[in-house]
Amino acid sequence: MTDVSVIVIVYNDADRLPAAVRSALGQSHRDVEVVIVNDASTDGTAAVADELAMAEDRVRVIHRAENSGGCGQPRNDGIAAARGTYLMFLDSDDTLDRHACRNLVAAAEEHEAELVSGCCWRVYPDKDEERVWYRGVYRERGVYASVREYPELLYDTLSTNKLYRRDFLDREGLRFVERLHYEDLLFSTQAYLAARKIAIIPHRVYNWMIYEKAETLSITNQRAELRNFSDRLEIFRRIDAVYARYGADDLKLSKDVKFLNHDLLLYVRGLRSRDDDYREAFLALAREYMATIDPRAYDEAHELQAIIGFMVAQGDYEGAVSAADYVGKGKTGKPRLTAPLVERDGRIYWSGDHLDTEQGRRILDVTELGIHSLPLKSLNPGGSVTEMVRDGRVLRLAGDVVNPLDRIGAGVPLSARLEFRDRSRTGRFFAVPAEVTHADGRLRWTAEVLPGRDVRPLGFLDQSWGLRLRLEAGDEELFIRLFANQPMEMSVPVRPRLTRLAGDHFEAYIPENGEMAFRLVAYGWAGRVTLATLRRFAATGRGRRWWTALLRAERRWRDVFTRRKTKIAVYNRLFVRLPIRRDTIVFESHLGKQYSDNPKYIYEELRRSGGKHTAIWSYAKSPAGFPKDARLVRRGSWQYYLALARAGYWVDNQGFPQDAAKRPQTTYIQTWHGSAYKRMGFDDPELKRGSKARRSRFQRTIDRYDAFLIRSEHDARTLAKGLGVRAELIRSGYPRNDALVNGGDTAKLAEQLKLTGDERTVVLYAPTFRAGANGKAQKKFEMPFDLEEFAEELGETHVLLVRPHYLNTAVVPPSLRGVVRDVGAVHDVTSLLLLSDALVTDYSSLMFDYALLDRPTVFFAPDLEDYVRSRGTYFDLRKEGPGPVLSEPDELFAALADLPGLTTRYAKKRREFLEKYGEYDRGTAAKQVVDRFFTGDSNA
Amino acid sequence: MRDIFIVCNNHEELGGLQRWVHHVGGLFAARGHRVHVIGVTHAAEPHDYGRDLPYELSVLHDTPPPSRSGGRLRAMRRRSVQRRGAARLSRLFRAARPGGVIIAAQVWAMEWVALADTAGMPVIGMSHESYQATKASSRYQRVKRHFADVNRFLVLSTEDADSWARDHMSNADFMPNPLHVVPSTLPDLSRPVVELLGRLSFEKGQDMMLEAWAEVTRSFPNWRLRLYGSGPDEEVLRHQASDLGVDETVEFAGATADVEGALNEASIFALSSRMEGFPMSVMEAMAYGLPTVAFDCAPGVRELITHESDGLLVRPGNTTEFAEQLARLMSDEDLRAKLGRQARTSVRRFSADMVTDRWERMFELVDR
Repeated sequence: MTDVSVIVIVYNDADRLPAAVRSALGQSHRDVEVVIVNDASTDGTAAVADELAMAEDRVRVIHRAENSGGCGQPRNDGIAAARGTYLMFLDSDDTLDRHACRNLVAAAEEHEAELVSGCCWRVYPDKDEERVWYRGVYRERGVYASVREYPELLYDTLSTNKLYRRDFLDREGLRFVERLHYEDLLFSTQAYLAARKIAIIPHRVYNWMIYEKAETLSITNQRAELRNFSDRLEIFRRIDAVYARYGADDLKLSKDVKFLNHDLLLYVRGLRSRDDDYREAFLALAREYMATIDPRAYDEAHELQAIIGFMVAQGDYEGAVSAADYVGKGKTGKPRLTAPLVERDGRIYWSGDHLDTEQGRRILDVTELGIHSLPLKSLNPGGSVTEMVRDGRVLRLAGDVVNPLDRIGAGVPLSARLEFRDRSRTGRFFAVPAEVTHADGRLRWTAEVLPGRDVRPLGFLDQSWGLRLRLEAGDEELFIRLFANQPMEMSVPVRPRLTRLAGDHFEAYIPENGEMAFRLVAYGWAGRVTLATLRRFAATGRGRRWWTALLRAERRWRDVFTRRKTKIAVYNRLFVRLPIRRDTIVFESHLGKQYSDNPKYIYEELRRSGGKHTAIWSYAKSPAGFPKDARLVRRGSWQYYLALARAGYWVDNQGFPQDAAKRPQTTYIQTWHGSAYKRMGFDDPELKRGSKARRSRFQRTIDRYDAFLIRSEHDARTLAKGLGVRAELIRSGYPRNDALVNGGDTAKLAEQLKLTGDERTVVLYAPTFRAGANGKAQKKFEMPFDLEEFAEELGETHVLLVRPHYLNTAVVPPSLRGVVRDVGAVHDVTSLLLLSDALVTDYSSLMFDYALLDRPTVFFAPDLEDYVRSRGTYFDLRKEGPGPVLSEPDELFAALADLPGLTTRYAKKRREFLEKYGEYDRGTAAKQVVDRFFTGDSNA
Repeated sequence: MRDIFIVCNNHEELGGLQRWVHHVGGLFAARGHRVHVIGVTHAAEPHDYGRDLPYELSVLHDTPPPSRSGGRLRAMRRRSVQRRGAARLSRLFRAARPGGVIIAAQVWAMEWVALADTAGMPVIGMSHESYQATKASSRYQRVKRHFADVNRFLVLSTEDADSWARDHMSNADFMPNPLHVVPSTLPDLSRPVVELLGRLSFEKGQDMMLEAWAEVTRSFPNWRLRLYGSGPDEEVLRHQASDLGVDETVEFAGATADVEGALNEASIFALSSRMEGFPMSVMEAMAYGLPTVAFDCAPGVRELITHESDGLLVRPGNTTEFAEQLARLMSDEDLRAKLGRQARTSVRRFSADMVTDRWERMFELVDR
């Protein structure tokens, strides 16, 4: 008896069949037979299959008399003919990994499993690329007595990347359904549920080959797609029946959740580029199916996907599609906000409709997405082209931009430019002026362009051009991609720079992602002939290879030029040989994310003292908020590296790029950004366990410092020692803290936060950095106490300013606006400290600075034990902290309610804390630094 | 009964891999197989692995082959030397009867196997360190190149095998090291001694051990930390111990061949390594019923120790936590006894018999 029968089904695929069969015969596990089932092919497949069988005893062929139109029947025929203990299914255009059978059989035998499933890879031969399919499901090996122990497996609905015991299929009467598409879904579900033992392996077993298809959808294609969709729903109904038979409500629920999260999203996303008939027919089908969905699925699905499902069920096309627009999609598909949203009773809703039911309000409540407090530049509002008129050689365009929650106020000055951007090369575009105005809750834009003059494509290489509106609203700048709501027929003359042979007209079209785009076409006979020939050539194997190679070479060259590695190499080899400019200083705070902290106060002192130095500030993303009288360079740009190489001084509080060497002639003043409570540098377990190479790399980074600012001898013993600082320690205290000692003006900030004249007690809540499970910054900060509760208990008498660590963000619902302010966007923390009457933190180094103000501090640290254990700390917070360490919200609210009591009770501890941890903060730090390095006699 | 060829860099040195080679060689022979252990080269300082061994020993090159570094000429010379060695290997392989199997125990040795005529026998490749350790070293590229086409690529733990499988080595599987000690006497767990066996080197992390020790020793003045082993870092470590003020309670006991004697003096075993594969020392300590405190620095460590059940695991590099767990054991003899007892039971999963059975199944599998 044979170990494994591989059933290869084929229909009109003579070219690829041999590769599939060879992959089965070439297994490292040799005890394999191949059963080819030819589904009445009309090309040379039959002959190829017979030849394969002639050449090798282990191959047999079954020729079906008539075509079945699917995969189900041929696979069933294969099962009937197979002789192996185990069965596998392989499609004629795919291949098996060389060790697939060995790994699957080994797992089946080791665990006596009836079904073993391995990892599938999607291979794109045209693009020379491959991607793993559901790695999350196939991370590690596992054995399960039932799929209910591992419901994630249901995400993989393929029947092909699996090994089945033959007697298991026979016992359960398992066969493929015939005459329906998506037979895999039903078959795999049935197999999962029926199997008494399932094994999973992370090994690659199956290569799913994906060849590029034509992009546009013809009417017949659309009809076929609808039929597919209705087949899919029918399969789902049958799957529901299977679940019902096994009493598996839980699995039906997770299938429904998956339907919302995944299947429905895919279809709805595509609706933008389909015609009205299709949309209507689709919605009717989908709506009917939505009635069978478990209502709990809405709560378990992702927020936006639940909205899509709900909107489909309501028959609200715009609502559904706009929610799909806001689901991100890889790198290119940034979430796009096409719904205007509404605010009701202090909550934010996706739409003003359907709010009359409790369910509707629950599903459409998107307050947690934080759109109302997102910075404008990350809002990405949806823009569209609504009109396009050709007038001779001139093109008149108009459209609008969503203005969510009226975030772009009516009083804000607006200006705009319309950009034609090369869709395959970022950063290449042609711009024309545009008009923009407020109009019924939206922004309306118009522009006029003469493509023959204003837009000059090269030709051949840049076939496709998109539209983008660059909008300036006050200080902020937004880039808005423009989309089309329906197809528009339009073409207008252009002149490619290379030659007219590359085309002479721009023709409007809508690519797969729904953007409004133009492609280069030829109307003149010469171009028509050339382009057609080129396209025909590009469709051949060799042509495609040449073309891809050409594009790839071009992209590679561009990548190399913009890559960080290139810049660093040029920096270290070339830039550092340029003459130094003694009087230039590069400033940076928190990797360019802010204009703040010690570097800011040193800079301002320098300006005050009349120092003639050229100051250069580095910014990470947007130059907004950075000083106007300094030169600004974007972190990581060529200019940035050039500035670093030639600067006389570096001043920062965290670290300039690790691998950029500092020249001996440059003075690096490392101000650091706070005293240490948790263990730092070589005292941090992560570095302690690190390899020799890693530790010396770290030391090299630190050894670039020439001066290191400290606030106390505690800093010298802990922070400086832990980091391995060998530079001179400057015992000046922190420049940012001068204002805490000398007092400072908070009127402007108070006004900005609408706190002027507010009598209430201002509490600043500033927790430290939180990493998620993956060790990276948790994007959204989970508040450890309930803000509503705070508002209820203390809202009359207190105002809470919430400031998460600068790598995290928090969401404050609009209903709490009166009591809670999100101050995450305020760059400079010093003024926040000055403005507040009390500080609540957990382990933030702000505790050290706040001690200078001698105001009450409360430590709200529910996870203190865990934090201490996992990171290690330099002292015992409970023993030395200048305030109580609390872990229950009630305790916190009680403490805040009685601040005067707290102030007196902890007076002594605050004094001791300050003496021990802030002895050098005397209010003259900035001056000391500037005198010493920039304006003192020795530096004249 | 099969012909089994184990090809390694050398089988003469005193080291973990060599101990493994001689151990499994003996185990296979005891199951009636004809075992042939082949070293590519001789060791500089050969260790005495005994006489009348139940398997045959061979060495391919009398003088060490030229190293990889150097110019084109040297590379050519290296290739020609390698080919001569491979030809010798082919002759040895040719003597095999049907059903034979080749084990390339190290990636360097695999270069010779790859050049040799394997006479149709399946080849099993092996790596005796964790995926992470390989990934961080120059061996990574060589493992991926030379072991890509072997019939089975074996690493020490399931987790490592899964990591390799995810990293495109679809022939990856696991094979733990067999337990190689049979205790005749057991420690009574009453002596106030914490013990660590291992080369005094950066990888073994004795520096972190000393830091942790400095945090506990004050509360347990009569306890001693005994570091067995010698190595390049001895001077540095002695200095560190006196800087930390713990030289009174730390003993540098030097290298020992008497594992049983050493383990019988201790009540707690410590593993402070930065990197490990499948640490034999922990396996030994478990077999002797010692509770272990270990940095969770490799999948092999997790595979051996289940936290709170037969030992205690600590987040790598977290010396404070390491100290806390030591203190827990030092102050609680019942806990020591409980974990020690369970360690002795659970380590039987890796008994010589169990692991040899797994090997037998592996031989059958690659034959199919």
